[in-house]
Amino acid sequence: MDLSYRLRLLIVVLSIGVLAGGGLLFKQLLLPDSFGDYGPYRADAITEAALVPIRHGTNTSCFKCHSHEAKFHKKGRHQTISCEFCHGTYADHIADDKKIGTLPVKKEKEITTLCLRCHNTEIKARHEEVIKTVAMPNHLKDQTVKITHNCNQCHYVHAPLKYIIRAKQITGLMEAGS
Amino acid sequence: MMDRRSFVKKVLNGTIAGSLYLVWPMGGDSLEIPEEIPGIKGKDYDILHQEFAFIVDVTRCIGCGSCCVADKREYNVPDGNYRTWVERYVKGFSDQIYVDSPHGGLDGYQHPRTDIDEKIRDTFFVPKLCNMCKEAPCVQVCPVGATFISPDGFILVDEKRCVGCAYCIQACPYSARFLNPVTKVAEKCTWCYHRVRKGLLPACVEVCPTGARKFGSMKDETSEVYKILKGPGVLTVLKKEMGTFPALYYKGARREVI
Repeated sequence: MDLSYRLRLLIVVLSIGVLAGGGLLFKQLLLPDSFGDYGPYRADAITEAALVPIRHGTNTSCFKCHSHEAKFHKKGRHQTISCEFCHGTYADHIADDKKIGTLPVKKEKEITTLCLRCHNTEIKARHEEVIKTVAMPNHLKDQTVKITHNCNQCHYVHAPLKYIIRAKQITGLMEAGS
Repeated sequence: MMDRRSFVKKVLNGTIAGSLYLVWPMGGDSLEIPEEIPGIKGKDYDILHQEFAFIVDVTRCIGCGSCCVADKREYNVPDGNYRTWVERYVKGFSDQIYVDSPHGGLDGYQHPRTDIDEKIRDTFFVPKLCNMCKEAPCVQVCPVGATFISPDGFILVDEKRCVGCAYCIQACPYSARFLNPVTKVAEKCTWCYHRVRKGLLPACVEVCPTGARKFGSMKDETSEVYKILKGPGVLTVLKKEMGTFPALYYKGARREVI
């Protein structure tokens, strides 16, 4: 009687031990390697997130080769505009310091559409101190040019006031001389 | 009437002025947007001692949608899903608020709203993205530990563990998450973690032309976000009453913004 009680107790204790041990082992098998290094998640996921390939460069990375555009872009009013916004991403153009593709060049009406993304007076909430806006086609009428003109026929897109200031200086000279 | 001498003089003056113009810097704004986060590139990244903050300046946002375009390109986000988006708030004189965000602001805002009958009192743009909450509801509800707060304060998604149950999508008070229809992973903005680790600014900050989006390290006392956050200006967070303690702050956001 006494023996069988002890035996039963031993069996119960042993089976709990086996179950707990087996459970722990099973859990260990199921848990990913780096689980719990920082918290209840896989620490390797941080490394994986950090290794996502970069697609956008910086303006400096574009200017390394495109020095002609850089000369004007850095000085003009458009200096804060990212090259890649209009032209496309760095990763589509360069891989391992080699050219892998040509970025499309924006033409005619596409340029006007791009300009009006920001410079459209019709959209309120664009403050004078942040950006200069124009109403189309009123701006073209005011400047007495054809309303079919595109923005880049007067404004150099990288430094929008380059030609304007120059033209004013030339016409100013003529006005003074007449 | 002008004699020959004064004509030649004026022409010469003009030539000198013109050539001066060529070497003189064109009147660019003093707005300078840094391209890199100092102190990260080329050094060992100490993941346990980092803190970052993101500031959105609502008063400077012009709703051009550059950030949305950059974001889509950086991650190849499928159409109809947005990691970041720009909302347009229109306030009528009856204090009625109209909010819209066509294509998440991806195409910019080319046209004004025509469906509003009343006179418009005010209108402004509000860029939205992941708030990187210190008490993140999405992390709490994830049943498989696929979304977590990394030691440097980023909420990241473990793409290999995510089962796509979308609990986090329901839990996020800012609607920052979506189920990627291609990978079936509940994705969200990561503040471009892969760029930050290499010392680059998030793509949306990089392309913002007006400096409406600012990002930087709070451990760097010279960074712009440090100066703004420690400075006297009023900053707000979205849905403060939710107790999520976001690391994304808004400058100049009005009461109507939710």
